Amino acid sequence: MKNTRTFGKYALVAGMSLLSLIPFYILLYLALNKPSRTLFNGLSLLPDFNFSNFLEAWATSKMGLATVNSLIITIGGAILIILAASSAGYAIARYSNKFHQSVFNLLLICMMIPAIIITVPLYTLMKSIGGINTHWAMILLMASNGIPFSVFLYAGFIKVLPREIEESAIIDGCTPFTSFWRVTFHFLRPVTAAVVILQGLAIWNNYGQAVFFLQGQDMRTIPLAVSMFFQQYGAQWNLMAAAAVIGLAPAVVAFLIFQKYFVKGITAGAVKG
Amino acid sequence: MIILRKLWNNLHLFMALPAILLFGLFFIYPLAQGIGISLTDSNGMSAPRFIGLQNFVDFFHDARAKKDVYNTVFFAIGSAPLLNLFGFLYALILDRPFKGKGFVRAVVYLPAVISPLIMGYVWYFILQPDRGFLYHLLENLHLGTGGSDWLGNAHSALIVLVFINVWQFVGMTMIIYLAGLQSIPKELYEACEIDGAGYMKSLWYITIPMVVQSIKINVVTNIIGSLSVFEVIMALTDGGPGYSTESLSIYILRMLYGSFTGYSTAVAMVLFAMIIIPVFIFMRYINKKEFEM
Repeated sequence: MKNTRTFGKYALVAGMSLLSLIPFYILLYLALNKPSRTLFNGLSLLPDFNFSNFLEAWATSKMGLATVNSLIITIGGAILIILAASSAGYAIARYSNKFHQSVFNLLLICMMIPAIIITVPLYTLMKSIGGINTHWAMILLMASNGIPFSVFLYAGFIKVLPREIEESAIIDGCTPFTSFWRVTFHFLRPVTAAVVILQGLAIWNNYGQAVFFLQGQDMRTIPLAVSMFFQQYGAQWNLMAAAAVIGLAPAVVAFLIFQKYFVKGITAGAVKG
Repeated sequence: MIILRKLWNNLHLFMALPAILLFGLFFIYPLAQGIGISLTDSNGMSAPRFIGLQNFVDFFHDARAKKDVYNTVFFAIGSAPLLNLFGFLYALILDRPFKGKGFVRAVVYLPAVISPLIMGYVWYFILQPDRGFLYHLLENLHLGTGGSDWLGNAHSALIVLVFINVWQFVGMTMIIYLAGLQSIPKELYEACEIDGAGYMKSLWYITIPMVVQSIKINVVTNIIGSLSVFEVIMALTDGGPGYSTESLSIYILRMLYGSFTGYSTAVAMVLFAMIIIPVFIFMRYINKKEFEM
């Protein structure tokens, strides 16, 4: 009885995992097939193990450049979010006043506004500050998108963090500002991991704004480069999949590195507060 | 000098400033401008004219917009409850101790790492009529391929889109519920067991009330996410056949490309209202419920 239950449990969990791995299998299957075999024919579930798609995808769509662009924008945006949102969360959680309270409420309401609805005025703004096709403007924009939810997480986490950790530093001669960066900031690691995963992925995968503000060929990010295989070259499945796998690899690796703290960060930042 | 000293000591009062400036410039300012643009006939060429609420009047007479509202709402009503149901079930299963728990959690979350755009392409490959992965699989297993044009009519295509969305983001919902489950003190369950309550009873009277914070976050983010959907639809059906699976966000984008800037922005404001109203109703309802408990 106990054995069948254990078996049932593992079968269920294995089923859940397999279901989640379908797209990864499909992408690898396509990426490793010869161009003549885009379709699934016969019952062979094994691909051809043809690695030339990766080289061709890399060459034709400037994937290398796209990866560099995506890395610059994602890392820049994530660092900016961590710095701005953690210090704002600290001010809101520790030094509550009317101003901080209304800022927090405003951010909560703005969390409900999808970024797409401000595209037109944003385009005018980006044009007037000379930000079209630049890394720096895209970094600022992506960081701004991530501010509300990240402040929400940091403020929630800092509220339940004991005040004593800063107080001892203040007694030792720190100001509240320096004690945050020297002491409190290091306790925020779980939330920072959650922010890196959630916002980092959102930036890495951003398409809706990149398509407007990074139109230059040399400024393309990974989602733009991958979608090119669909639009320009007429659905080249093998190359599309190879490009997608190239673009996915850094995201998966980063996720696996930070996921250890992920649940902890969400628990402390969002659920308890 | 003294002023500088004072400023340095009180710098913590200004620590929210960078976030406020950034968000103010790239979000609040364009948003305020957007409200203005939605009241004009701006088209990117001639000088915009103030036309009051005309764009909104037009919206209510726009058959295509009505269809898009229907599609968007259908997608959201399908997605949000299913995401929460399965996310919660997944969390209950993966909250129990077993070997490889962390690994399975990571794997279940992985589809959310893929951009919805690429996910749409992958599912297009699987579901293509007459030559997709699933079509060939069914054919080879002699299971019959009748009615395999899942993307060919609006209704089945919308159901497929809901399915893909739920399946891709169930891991995200699960993580939030897992976080909630882990913050429940174990003593509560022990007390419940002493009182002789079974699993279902403790689920209803302890687990669900204790994860109310997770429910809030999940429902709100799911409402926002599903009502503003566009990437997965663009990749899978491109809004077709015709406009039959187009969402409001895609309509907004297409109106933009068509230089109907004023109208596009007005539709965007309608979308904002469509999101904020259910979120407020839900928050009021759940806060009242919480208060009663």
